[in-house]
Amino acid sequence: MKYLSVVWAVARKDLLVEMRTLERLTAMGAFSVLIGVLFHFSIDTSLIRVQTIAPSLIWMATIFVGMLGLGRIYTIEDENRALSGLLQSPISLDALYFGKVLSNSILLLSIVVLILVVFAVFFNLSFPGGWLGWISLSGVILLGVLSFVSIMTLLSAVAVNNTMGESIIPVLVLPLLVPIVIHTVTATNRIFANRPFAEIEGNLRMLAAIVLIFLVAGASLFRFAIEE
Amino acid sequence: MIPRLQAEDISRSFAGTRAVDGISFDLNSGELLSIFGPNGAGKTTLLKILAGVIRPDEGRVSVDQNVVEVSERLWRSQIGIVTHQTMLYDQLSGRENLLFYAKLFDLEDPEDRIRETMKTLGILEMADRFVGSLSRGFQQRLTLARALLHDPKVLLLDEPYAGLDLYASRLLRDRINSLKDGNRTVVLVTHSFEQGLELADRVAIQARGRFVFTGLNEGFRLTEFEHLYCNTLQECGF
Amino acid sequence: MNRSRMKKISMSFGILGVAAILLLHYMVFFWVPTELSMGIVQRIFYIHVPSWWVAFISFGVVALCSGVYLWLGDDRLDAAAVTAAEGGMIFTTIGLLTGPLWGKIAWGAWWTWEPRLTLALLLWFIYLGYFLVRRSTLNPERGKRLAAVVGIIGVLDIPLIHVSVSWLRSLHPEAVVLNPDGPTLDESMLATLLVGLLAYSLIFVCLFTVRYSTELVDRATQMQDV
Repeated sequence: MKYLSVVWAVARKDLLVEMRTLERLTAMGAFSVLIGVLFHFSIDTSLIRVQTIAPSLIWMATIFVGMLGLGRIYTIEDENRALSGLLQSPISLDALYFGKVLSNSILLLSIVVLILVVFAVFFNLSFPGGWLGWISLSGVILLGVLSFVSIMTLLSAVAVNNTMGESIIPVLVLPLLVPIVIHTVTATNRIFANRPFAEIEGNLRMLAAIVLIFLVAGASLFRFAIEE
Repeated sequence: MIPRLQAEDISRSFAGTRAVDGISFDLNSGELLSIFGPNGAGKTTLLKILAGVIRPDEGRVSVDQNVVEVSERLWRSQIGIVTHQTMLYDQLSGRENLLFYAKLFDLEDPEDRIRETMKTLGILEMADRFVGSLSRGFQQRLTLARALLHDPKVLLLDEPYAGLDLYASRLLRDRINSLKDGNRTVVLVTHSFEQGLELADRVAIQARGRFVFTGLNEGFRLTEFEHLYCNTLQECGF
Repeated sequence: MNRSRMKKISMSFGILGVAAILLLHYMVFFWVPTELSMGIVQRIFYIHVPSWWVAFISFGVVALCSGVYLWLGDDRLDAAAVTAAEGGMIFTTIGLLTGPLWGKIAWGAWWTWEPRLTLALLLWFIYLGYFLVRRSTLNPERGKRLAAVVGIIGVLDIPLIHVSVSWLRSLHPEAVVLNPDGPTLDESMLATLLVGLLAYSLIFVCLFTVRYSTELVDRATQMQDV
């Protein structure tokens, strides 16, 4: 219970700081809308039916926004050396990792909701699925976001005390996102096409496996990435 | 008397440089050791080893004869550390910061402890102001509160007076002095001879990772210690 | 292992490797029959596949040495990991350069998202990230640890990438001119391929031992200078 209360304390602290500053949320929110604008002008809607490529656009936007916002996961710890304070306390570092994954997943999930709304409006999207479709979509989004955030939480620690700063993160993270993109986009495409759940199940299983692998690897390797 | 804090022949290298080189000392409860030395002497690295944040390459550190392991969480709950950086979140209030640390240290009755600690340090009235809006002096007292909240046996202070005006320094000095009466063991790293000698029971000069001078503080006068410091460093080739 | 012993090992592997490379080239240009459907340019297959083999084996070595380095903290393991990464990057680059040449014959296109080629491209970038992290971290010791983390995460992702890309490709079978997995091999072709795998492996071990010993000397010199 103490372990979970530490995880929650870390997540709560992150979210409280973010609510007070709104720095990352503002940047990520603005980016979500503006990327939708750019997508609109980059697609010839007389040639392409946007409904068919909407899942790709949604997930690409999520990844770009995630890179922008999650690259700064440790910035608040960098000011005043708060990270040293965390490292000098008797918590286990994987609790710190899970706390960060939790807070950043909540942050990114709220942005994904914004992206869905914005893109639905900008591209006049329709969602043919019933309640099962919405549940499946929620599942895909949750697993997709969790797998992305788990890897970002580990590799963003690299940017701390690095001469390249946050610009190194895309080089490290993007190759690793390929399996996540494949399964989230395929599943979302099928959900938008109102395909039966049996066709989506495999993607969900694969995403769940990816989440598990990345969370276990992240928690195990985190202390090597974060220790001074 | 069994020493409270013991360092036995500890060494640590970074990229081939010996940051800490064979340092040993014993401190009893209620004693304060002041460490002086030029920049790059390895003083901060020494404190990090004592705090259990960095593992030494050789040697060992023990508190009440319990040996430190870097992953020993029990050890970290017995240490408090204050540096010139607050390790606090500017966007949270003093109370919120301390509540967060209380959770990390799994403290009972955190609200009462926080109130007591802040009252002792004279910062209770600032409890609900954001840390970023506080003066440097209040921030440093809040940092001390953070370090003392879990009632550590050993307190490590790394340039705690940095950036403080005279009045704030005085207040901090009084607080540190009161800690010794509480049977805590204190290690103080400072560039200020006056502040370091005022409260020290023992003194050490660290240069190039080694203690090049150690001894009891036998009432050194300021100029006397300055001469000793300069001569010692000259002999070391500075 | 002392330096003279390492020198002997590298020389032995070097000599054997060069001999095997000469044999390979003889077999490729003069011995192995020309594949019926693809013609003479198919012979690049015997260079292309062995370079893949070495690239992936190298990355396995990087990940293994990185894992044990994080566990034991022995600097020699980090030296071995960075040496394997350098070799791996070279062979991945060879594979990426010869891959499109092969692809133009097999698929009629310079690039296709075939699982091995895709994986090699991503692997190249994982290697790049490995080196960037090492070079750009302010504290060199921390840089080694972070590079080890990148190496381990990379190797965990490789099977995920391969499975996912292969699965996606199975949904959208592309029109291919010829069998994209390579020609159906007769005995002589298989023998040539095996000689290629052996030759490249021997050359890799030779390069690895030479580079590893110079890396250790560099590190020892740096420590003495300090």
